[in-house]
Amino acid sequence: MFELIDGRMIAFAGVGSAGIGGEADLDASLMLRVRDGDEECFRLLLNKHRIPVVNFLYRMVQDRAVAEELGQEVFLRIYRSRGSYEVSAKFTTWMFRIATHVALNNLRDNRPERAGRRVDEDAEGRARELPDRVPSTEQRMIERARLQQVRDAIGRLPEKQRAAVLMHKYEEMEYSQIAGVLECSESAVKSMLFRAYETLRARLSHMAMAGGAR
Amino acid sequence: MKRDSDERGCGFLDNQTLLDYAAGNLEARRADLVREHSRTCSSCEALMVEQAAMWVELDCWVPEPVSDGFNRALWQRITDSETAPWYRRLLESMRSGGWRPAVSLAAGVAFVAVGFVFDHSVERTASPVASAVASGWGMTAVEADQVESSLEDIQLLRLIE
Ligand SMILES: [Zn+2]
Repeated sequence: MFELIDGRMIAFAGVGSAGIGGEADLDASLMLRVRDGDEECFRLLLNKHRIPVVNFLYRMVQDRAVAEELGQEVFLRIYRSRGSYEVSAKFTTWMFRIATHVALNNLRDNRPERAGRRVDEDAEGRARELPDRVPSTEQRMIERARLQQVRDAIGRLPEKQRAAVLMHKYEEMEYSQIAGVLECSESAVKSMLFRAYETLRARLSHMAMAGGAR
Repeated sequence: MKRDSDERGCGFLDNQTLLDYAAGNLEARRADLVREHSRTCSSCEALMVEQAAMWVELDCWVPEPVSDGFNRALWQRITDSETAPWYRRLLESMRSGGWRPAVSLAAGVAFVAVGFVFDHSVERTASPVASAVASGWGMTAVEADQVESSLEDIQLLRLIE
């Protein structure tokens, strides 16, 4: 099976038993080419996955500059691992496993200074704005407060639950893939997600009610 | 669709159905069943409304775009790491082994230590743990911190495993 990417013919790699149902994984094929010295394929992987990786890290650590640094760390580790790369799981599962490890490591290293810290009101991240209207100052303040509460609600989840929610909600990953990243069973991921969303429902329910009047 | 834990609702909706429905991942036939049920069951309807509202609220968090200099900074780090001395590259490769450390902790540390002894002399030391290692093996403060950081990484990797 082949696909044409940037004018280059790339053969798909079959994913073994650790991957999802033996499906073809184009990213793994690119990574195998990186292993064989093809830097251009690394650029393709970087450009394809940079945004989801940095966004995931940003939502994990809630600091844009730190997230970018950690994102570079993830791709640096991928690049350094190229020599020993083997297709044993879906490429994105492997990549998010590295990203999760890097994020947890950072959170662990900075736990004392983060403890009790509320997420900075002026910190990065923006509320989604509807393109067909110019929000008033009051609307902006309301949106900002909503964003702050969402960040706070997610930020207060236990780290593994947070990672699971971010992968499920924002990266739209399937239960099986999240299980692959967190190296636990699919049922463990599901109960982790149920607990996390139940917490979020409780924390955000007052906003939803207020939102009904929006 | 029997419920497995939540005390809310009448018991018709299980956790996964509730979650998959809000996420739009439920197959059409089952989604119809859920909708049909919620029309006649106010407690499940309330739960679904709450779940859907939470789902929409989470959408309001949109990250800033990744900065333009991201790739450039990454390539700089790659270049720096490629030109680093062999023992630093070894340390880094131990750190970048992801969840699958290729060498055992003890063997890896011993191997790295030998490299330091041959290549470096003691200048100054930093943290207590790093300094204990460094003074024995003759490495700089920065290198000692790298060893400490790598050891922590490997320990964390083992925890994740
Ligand atoms: Zn019901």
